[in-house]
Amino acid sequence: MSQQHENLSALIDGEQHDDGLIDAVSQDAELAAKWQRYHLIRQGLRKELPPNGQFDISAQVAAALNEEATVLAPKQRRWQDLPVVAQVLPLARQGGQFAIAASVAVAMVLGVQQINTQDPTEPFNTTQPQLPGVQGGMSPVSLEQTRPLQQTDMLEQRRRINAFLNDHRQQMQLRTIEPVADEQQAQEQPAQASEDQPE
Amino acid sequence: MSSKHRSNQRKPVKINLNKSLRVWTAVCCLSGGLVASFATLAQSQTPDTDIAVSSYPSDSPEAWLAKMANAFTSLNYQMSFVLLKPGMNAQPYLWRHGIAPDGTSMEQLNLLNGPGREVLRVGNEVSYFEPNVPPYTLRSTIINGPLPMAFFRDPLQLSGSYEFMLVGRSRVSGRAAQQLRVVSRDKSRFGLNLWLDQETGLPLKMNRVDLQGQLLEQIQVTALDVTAEADDYFSRIELAKLPEVVTFPPSPRSSHQWQIDFMPTGMQLVKWDVHRLPITGDVVEYVMLSDGIVDISIYLQPASASRVTEDVLLRHESDTFLSRRQGDAHVTVIGKLPAQTANAIAASVKLVTP
Repeated sequence: MSQQHENLSALIDGEQHDDGLIDAVSQDAELAAKWQRYHLIRQGLRKELPPNGQFDISAQVAAALNEEATVLAPKQRRWQDLPVVAQVLPLARQGGQFAIAASVAVAMVLGVQQINTQDPTEPFNTTQPQLPGVQGGMSPVSLEQTRPLQQTDMLEQRRRINAFLNDHRQQMQLRTIEPVADEQQAQEQPAQASEDQPE
Repeated sequence: MSSKHRSNQRKPVKINLNKSLRVWTAVCCLSGGLVASFATLAQSQTPDTDIAVSSYPSDSPEAWLAKMANAFTSLNYQMSFVLLKPGMNAQPYLWRHGIAPDGTSMEQLNLLNGPGREVLRVGNEVSYFEPNVPPYTLRSTIINGPLPMAFFRDPLQLSGSYEFMLVGRSRVSGRAAQQLRVVSRDKSRFGLNLWLDQETGLPLKMNRVDLQGQLLEQIQVTALDVTAEADDYFSRIELAKLPEVVTFPPSPRSSHQWQIDFMPTGMQLVKWDVHRLPITGDVVEYVMLSDGIVDISIYLQPASASRVTEDVLLRHESDTFLSRRQGDAHVTVIGKLPAQTANAIAASVKLVTP
């Protein structure tokens, strides 16, 4: 088979004239497709491609992918909740010809993004109910006030906890606004004093 | 092992330290590359250091902290450090400080992973550049970030509430380091293990540990570079292009009269206002307490207004989250502090209706 491919390549390059091979190409669909692709590659290498070439392959891939789409993306999970996927998937839908590349990109971006994400805005998952009590990432601290939470209140409870944690982070971020007036005066004087000394 | 041994035997320590100090300086002088920068450093910094350190015995923890505070504001340095917290990826940061030719202290803190977060302090104005938020500037003397900057600036103001102990010497980030322990006197707050650079006094490693000595959060410096001149980065800053200073109008105080009876010693009231929570939109009365090492948020809601029904206590990353019903109020306490202290603060809140 690979010998045949090599012969085909040689034929296209004009280095071989084998009528048997030409017959084989005209009969074998796979070989014919190869013939087409080789020409495409050659044109590409020689920069002879038309500016907006119509490539059959992309359309075929897109069609194949459209048929398989339901299997590839089961709708049980709400992908809208995932920030990256929500942005990338509609893109992938728009450009059918980019679908394969895009899906690979999604996997890569997801992988990279998972490494890079920090400070999630909702550290406690509020999307779907889980078992009550302590979940991953937290370690229990024993105190008498702790009671297992009711399943029905879980989501609301978590939303509130997230709100508090978010606000705490925000407040830490905006800290030192109000004490500045006092602190500034207190710290300006020693700062000036220390600046004077070396001179 | 050796550090424990040293701290137990007080007398021989001095001799050992002095001897090893001499050895260390000799080693330092032999290592070519570093000599130039340290020599200039030593010359330029001696007057300041002498004054700050002279009021304490030279081998006391206070002298070391004074040296740290001095180095923190007066040296030109650049360091990379990594922040490690439970349940979280390591976060690498770049931290630079420089004194501009006109004497302005400039500082940059840059989060290196992901979309990033850059903070720039020029004098008393701190500009924050963050993803998804328009850049803004706050009037402040310190950068808000993973480092307890207020503590680094003025560590000795905490001597009433924290005890400082010299532990021993070790090697951190490839440099000789002096280890110090900062322990809450009344055991109401978590402690710090601090490793300071033997030469400059700059922090090389900081562990936040709970009352049992378990690690909660770690900052590890991976590279430290002290230079005679401020980094070029600071000379490229265009001051006119920095975002405008944001001022917040004084927020309305609620009609409720709250009273917090218990505050750990050394804690100060930093903020007291009324605002809405981001996700739920609940209106809360907000109090922030701080001692320079930890910031604690306290949220107060009248029990009638609050839809919270359950008491919750949990640990998120290194923060403790406590939410409990207290008489007619619902109190939520968040911060890096022991659960017992959070509970004591929450239990001391009283709602005094006028």
